[in-house]
Amino acid sequence: MLNHRRFLVGAALIAAAVSYLVWAGVRSTSTYYFEMDEFVERRANHEGEDLRVKGWVRHGTVQWDARTNALAFELARQDGSDGVPVAFGGILPDMFAEGREVVVEGHWGGGRIAARQIMTSCPSKYEAEPGADTTAPAPAPPGA
Amino acid sequence: MAEIGRLAISLALLCAVFSIGLSVIGARRRRGDLVRSGEHAAYATFGLVALATVLLLRALLAQDYSLEYVAAYSSSTLPTNYKIAALWGGQKGSLLFWAFVLTLFTTVVEVQNRARNRELMPWVTATLMIVTAFFLGLVTFITDPFERLPVPATEGADLNPLLQNYWMMIHPPSLYTGYVSASVPFAFAMAALITGRLGDQWIRTTRRWALFSWFFLTLGNLFGAMWAYEVLGWGGYWAWDPVENAAFMPWLVSTAYLHSVMIQEKKDMLRVWNMVLVLLTFTLTIFGTFLTRSGVISSVHSFTQSGLGPYFIGFLLVILLGVGALVAYRLPELRTAGTIESFLSREAAFLFNNLILVGIAFAVFWGTVFPVVSEWVRGVKITVGPPFFNRVNAPLGIALLFLMGVGPVIAWRRATAKNLWKAFAGPVGVALATGVLFLATGMPFGAAWLTFVLGVFATGTVVQEFWRGMRARQALLHESAPRALSRVVGKNRRRYGGYIIHLGIVAIFFGIAGSSAFRLEKQQTLNTGEQMSIGRYVLRYDGVQSKEDGHLSQLAAVVTVLVDGKPIDVLHPEKRFYKKPKQPTTEVANRSTLREDLYLVLGSYDDATKLVTLLAYVNPLVVWIWIGGLVMALGTAVAVWPSGREREVRVLAPGAVGASAE
Repeated sequence: MLNHRRFLVGAALIAAAVSYLVWAGVRSTSTYYFEMDEFVERRANHEGEDLRVKGWVRHGTVQWDARTNALAFELARQDGSDGVPVAFGGILPDMFAEGREVVVEGHWGGGRIAARQIMTSCPSKYEAEPGADTTAPAPAPPGA
Repeated sequence: MAEIGRLAISLALLCAVFSIGLSVIGARRRRGDLVRSGEHAAYATFGLVALATVLLLRALLAQDYSLEYVAAYSSSTLPTNYKIAALWGGQKGSLLFWAFVLTLFTTVVEVQNRARNRELMPWVTATLMIVTAFFLGLVTFITDPFERLPVPATEGADLNPLLQNYWMMIHPPSLYTGYVSASVPFAFAMAALITGRLGDQWIRTTRRWALFSWFFLTLGNLFGAMWAYEVLGWGGYWAWDPVENAAFMPWLVSTAYLHSVMIQEKKDMLRVWNMVLVLLTFTLTIFGTFLTRSGVISSVHSFTQSGLGPYFIGFLLVILLGVGALVAYRLPELRTAGTIESFLSREAAFLFNNLILVGIAFAVFWGTVFPVVSEWVRGVKITVGPPFFNRVNAPLGIALLFLMGVGPVIAWRRATAKNLWKAFAGPVGVALATGVLFLATGMPFGAAWLTFVLGVFATGTVVQEFWRGMRARQALLHESAPRALSRVVGKNRRRYGGYIIHLGIVAIFFGIAGSSAFRLEKQQTLNTGEQMSIGRYVLRYDGVQSKEDGHLSQLAAVVTVLVDGKPIDVLHPEKRFYKKPKQPTTEVANRSTLREDLYLVLGSYDDATKLVTLLAYVNPLVVWIWIGGLVMALGTAVAVWPSGREREVRVLAPGAVGASAE
């Protein structure tokens, strides 16, 4: 019976270690994740924080400089309202295009998001989203 | 044709319900004839689901755009193999595919056990048919693959270009095979709980099924990593995406089960724990299917919101509550007398390995569902990204690697000082020497260094086991070394197969440690003739090449790789532009050696200025992850290969050989 108890102590120690790792990990790596309308509502309280925002790439706002790979666009609601400027320096994801839904991860401050990562969904289906013009060229046009 | 398909699904659901009823009544009234009828109803279910699957395939191949599913996932320009893959490319098709694979396995189980396990079988049949009925219910009532469009489409929307890749033919079926076959050990565990036959019978019967399931989960995870690495073009193979985690969690728990089952067989301990692990593995496969198919958590795979969530959650709750109640009811009988005598024993090593594996699964689960939980509790979504998973799992993984070196050679019950010295002096010595050597050659002291050292230690214990087994036979029987080695493995296939799998795991650890700790990354925009350098490579951009056909156009950068001023290779990172939907995809160029991968991505190309942006990565040791996978496959083959005594039993299917104790 003594052995039984000793073993339980060992098991409890491992469980405690895992719990601590999870707790510490959550504390130090968690970021807020907002849908566009939540972001519009609460952005004033999160000035200077890192966060993730899910929204749509507003039509006609994508500017891309081939020389410096600097990308600027506005993240907006699906109908194009409440655009927020986003700046990104890096390779465009394949699925990035105007009117597409994207998740931007980066630093929110001074009225713009400095993006570190742009995640595009990899949907298993392609439906022209309402109001989306799927014929809009991607920023990097095919080498035609 | 679609109407026949729909009818087949509805009838299959009816057959499954009949099968459940007949099996249960037959078992309770001890009526063998009813039990047999229940089995026949299960065969009929399989036949009808197979018919429906064939009809859906036929519709995909015949480009029948009057079906919503075909119009959504196929097109006239899509190559034939992807028309077939479209069967599991979307939600409706993949749920039908699930039911198809499950009823196929049910049929195999019924045939295998026609003359065995007669007391367990009705409950096995009923359990498998309940799971089948759940999936058939979904495709019958909620999400019908044979749904017709109000107006037939003239052309299909095509399969997502990202999925138009040969991995699409390999990865989903592997993972599904692993997922679905986990139902078989679960069904036997349920039957054992219901009948009260809680001994080793159900475990021995399902041992190969559990290994079969684990093997395909392993392959599914590895193929998924390869696919991500080759296709997505971000230089990595694993992103802790919810969908990746969905495949990883059942693998972890299944791995734990394969180990703890040995303790039950050898020491008759951990009966309750094994039940819990089997149940967890199964529920995690259902949960994984739900994660991939519901879009509840946004990910790169975020499949469209479909409203399947409540049904899956409901089904999972019913299973968890039902099985929980059963386990609680049988608890007095499941309790065994065995206890662990010492921390320095194989039992303890196995147990800690189990706790850590389940701990990792718990951490991954928590990180995956955290956004949902935080929204639920605090009204705001909070995500944890890859840093969370890496920070939590790196120490746990390293502890696991250490135990992998200890477990196979430490004594049962209680290790003595003499045993410890005999078992570990060699491997520990070699590992420490390697560690010093690594430090001397400039490797920083850190997690990667520790991984290499512990990997050498684990490899050392395995090599020592092979060596000693061989020498013992030679001393006894005076055989030649190769003959003694093959004989000793042949006589203990399961044990030595397991050791070979361990070597594969060590290789994977090396690959992960090397590519995580010593990876280089560089992005540069170049004019024709300009060059960039990364690590020991110089990359010269020599221009572009383009090709075009009806389905897509391709644009490749020509990049000459130089080392010490000498050209050693020419790479062609590519962008492809699919015509429909207008969509670019990245084709990575990868120069892979045992030492490192040089991984090139064509980031962008500007037609007006002829400027190209290249993204270059040097990923050390990545290839060892794939080599490790191969070694694991080899080890699994050794472990399941029937030994002489079993060869007399007819082999019906993988994992279909009769059980034997060792």
